[in-house]
Amino acid sequence: MEHRFDAWLLLAVFGILGASLTILSSLDRVLSAHLFLRQLIWGLIGVGVLWIVSLLKSNFLYRLAPAAYLGSLALLAAVLIAGHVRAGTKGWFVLGPVSFQPSEIARLGTAMMVAAWYARRSRLQLRFSEVGIVGVLIGAPMGLILLQPDLGVALTYLPLLVAALWIGGMPGRYWVLLGITAALFVGAGWTWGLKPYQKERVLTLLEPARDPFGAGYQVRQSKIAVGSGRVGGQGLGHGSQSVLRFLPAQHTDFIFAVWAEATGFIGSSAALAAYALLLWRIWTAAVHAKDRFGLALASLIGAWLAFQVFVNLGMVVGWLPTTGITLPLFSYGGSSLLTTCAALGVVGAVYRDRFVNA
Amino acid sequence: MRIREDLNPFRRRAAWVSTLTTIALAILLIRLFDMQVMHGKLWKARAENNRLRRLPIEAPRGRIFDRNGFILAENRPSFQLLLFPDEVRDVGRTCLFLARAGLGTAAGFQELLRRRIGNTLAPQIVAESLSWQEVAAVRAHQSDHPELAVVDGFRRDYPYAKLTAHAVGYLRQMLPAELAAHPGVSPNSLVGATGAEALMNATLAGAEGERRVVVTAIGQQLGVVSSQAAEAGTDMTLTLDIGLQRAAADALGSESGAVVGLDPETGAVRVLYSSPSFDPNIFTAHLAPKAWSGLAEDPAHPLQNRCIQGLYPPGSTIKPFYALEALTEGVVTPRKVVHCTGSVVLFGHTFHCWRRGGHGIVDLERSLEVSCDSYYYRLGLALGIDAMSRWLGRFGFGRKTGLGLPGERSGLVGNPAWVKRVRHHPWYPGTTISVAIGQGPILATPLQLARAYATLANGGHLIIPHLVERDTPIPAEDLGLRPADLEAVRTALEQVVHGSEGTARAFHDIPMAGKTGTSQVARLQEGVRVEDMKRRLRHHALFVGWAPLARPRLVVAVVVEHGGGGARAAAPIAAAVLEASLKSEDAAAAP
Repeated sequence: MEHRFDAWLLLAVFGILGASLTILSSLDRVLSAHLFLRQLIWGLIGVGVLWIVSLLKSNFLYRLAPAAYLGSLALLAAVLIAGHVRAGTKGWFVLGPVSFQPSEIARLGTAMMVAAWYARRSRLQLRFSEVGIVGVLIGAPMGLILLQPDLGVALTYLPLLVAALWIGGMPGRYWVLLGITAALFVGAGWTWGLKPYQKERVLTLLEPARDPFGAGYQVRQSKIAVGSGRVGGQGLGHGSQSVLRFLPAQHTDFIFAVWAEATGFIGSSAALAAYALLLWRIWTAAVHAKDRFGLALASLIGAWLAFQVFVNLGMVVGWLPTTGITLPLFSYGGSSLLTTCAALGVVGAVYRDRFVNA
Repeated sequence: MRIREDLNPFRRRAAWVSTLTTIALAILLIRLFDMQVMHGKLWKARAENNRLRRLPIEAPRGRIFDRNGFILAENRPSFQLLLFPDEVRDVGRTCLFLARAGLGTAAGFQELLRRRIGNTLAPQIVAESLSWQEVAAVRAHQSDHPELAVVDGFRRDYPYAKLTAHAVGYLRQMLPAELAAHPGVSPNSLVGATGAEALMNATLAGAEGERRVVVTAIGQQLGVVSSQAAEAGTDMTLTLDIGLQRAAADALGSESGAVVGLDPETGAVRVLYSSPSFDPNIFTAHLAPKAWSGLAEDPAHPLQNRCIQGLYPPGSTIKPFYALEALTEGVVTPRKVVHCTGSVVLFGHTFHCWRRGGHGIVDLERSLEVSCDSYYYRLGLALGIDAMSRWLGRFGFGRKTGLGLPGERSGLVGNPAWVKRVRHHPWYPGTTISVAIGQGPILATPLQLARAYATLANGGHLIIPHLVERDTPIPAEDLGLRPADLEAVRTALEQVVHGSEGTARAFHDIPMAGKTGTSQVARLQEGVRVEDMKRRLRHHALFVGWAPLARPRLVVAVVVEHGGGGARAAAPIAAAVLEASLKSEDAAAAP
């Protein structure tokens, strides 16, 4: 077995982090903040975490899974009691200058648990009861997160569910059943669950002129920022939308819009290429994994990262409503950065334990 | 864990997922290409639009003066509150803020924003004539509401208010159709709705200027990119005489009616007063005034300009024209007499003269002096309705005068052709008899009456009335009347005031001539006196005349709705105006 690190993966990570730091440094001037410095520190810690975690053995991770999962659930429960409220959700632990979101960490723990559980199965396809177990394993942390309430982060668990069922092998008829259940849930959620402002966001998407002042404002500003980047971009620190503060949440949700405005199509496609590279390496790790556990784990991580990328970019180009889902490795934020690096470290660990000739 | 398990099925599944994510990224790439490369220019333009704000610079409208330089319409500075709809983040919050600043109700502003017309990117005026406190209240929270801006503009002011409401007119907002026809014009522009404001709108309106500034998202102005100054409108002088207008208003008082005063030589309109009137200052706002519907629904119709829109049967005031026609056609001579017994039997019907016992022997001069109806019944039959209606048309009856004010009506001169077309029955001979004394299908506006009498006063020239001062006079049409005939009629009209039996002899101390008229509104019941009738059934009172006698300088037509008798109700008003004009002219002539 080879024990080399995946150079391509690291390349992708450094590329995206580099872009993120570049754009944050230009935003520092506009927002009068210290984003660059902080993200740099988190980035360095993140890379370190990535390296350390990928030194772990796949078997160790397997044995760690249940503890990680239960620990996650405990943290999620604890935050409901002792957490800080930010942006309307009680989802943050604050320890002095540092704050972190347990819902991010819990995702990794859940993925590990589901993968570990798979490793003990022997069938090619899932039975109904097994589907139920997967549902509960993922549903439990989702439910706790929905209590915060944080719909955005809860949504990022869905790709875990779908990928888990797909990889595990769910018979076709169950997919139909799942589809119907999902439709019912969506219907119920739309009628009773979603708050009016959330509904507005979706409706504005379908009909931007419906409310150009309120919910449509963010979408419009984002599209203008992206589009006005044109081929070569407006230059760092010169983007009119960002410098003049028309774009909201520039350093978090809409950071890609700032990048696209500054670097144009050249920069945007380069960033997309970096993500494509990242995902490719994750899938490679999955396919070359030595056992079910590694394969499932890498797949789940790949699924959720791809989901995040697609949802965030989809929002930036005006296809999806604003959801609060950040762009992994790009958006400012220590919690998200560290957990993504930890997850990538896990992928690295799986990769290092792979079959060479498989 | 089992070693050496066949993972291929799982690998295939993983591969599917990776394919899916690759496709998703490819779709995003295509979208980015579309936005940035294909439509980049369009988005760039929108970005420009985002950050460049167009602040309109309102142009002052031309002022309006009367002939003596008194200002009838001017511009007062006014702070206006502009809203940039493109920049509103939360409509409810903005409306709430405006309500809290004391500028109106939140619901009212919501409605205002919803009723947006024209270019939706242009700023909209949401409040005006702001006081200092209101301006301060908005400016204090400017950074919270970058979509609002206080700018200085103008508010039209009419110092004489009710006195000139109809003559000068007022302003209104542009209609969607008009805005569509003039794409560059700001939707906040006001145009003249009635009166001189409407007639001369093109000259009075200036051109709006514009300042383009770079703004940040919080409305902070970083710099002026370009600036185009506004062009002020051109001032105008009207022929109106505010002193005479006031005399007319004071004399008419609270009665409904109209007073029109013309210079018979030039056609210059000196008096154009309609009652009841209203305060046009309520219409100077860009926002629809609440009082509008009250005025529009008032049964007394204060918004109607009775001078040009009121249609009345002229009654006896039409008689001089028939007399003139009869002289011209040779049907009568000044010496020819008629015996008036108080009634005439024609076509088997009895037609009464207004004087029960009759006037006795009546010649042309006396027929006008005492306004004998019998004389004109016979005259009408002799002339025939076709000739009569044609003749009246020569004096401008039945068509617009050419003054040009919006809403002017043409009046009516009924004849057999008209009756057949509109009423679908033949002309009854009895109608000719009614028309001969100015009743029945014959309607005129006070302006038409004044103009027609001006012809008598100036020696037979049909003038075209005008409200705006001109350097060169408008040529008048010579009707080719015989001076002797005109003289006979004029002398008779002088006798109306100065003769011993003249219907307006109460005013003999004023050097005026003219004709009284009383037009029936409802059929007189047997034995009922006019004074006892309900007001709205009472006759209209008319008087048209001029002064001084030798070379008339002012012709005045007065209509008092439901005033009763022409001599009693209308003549005094005409006398007051003519007297005032003589006094002011004397004063002007004095060294």
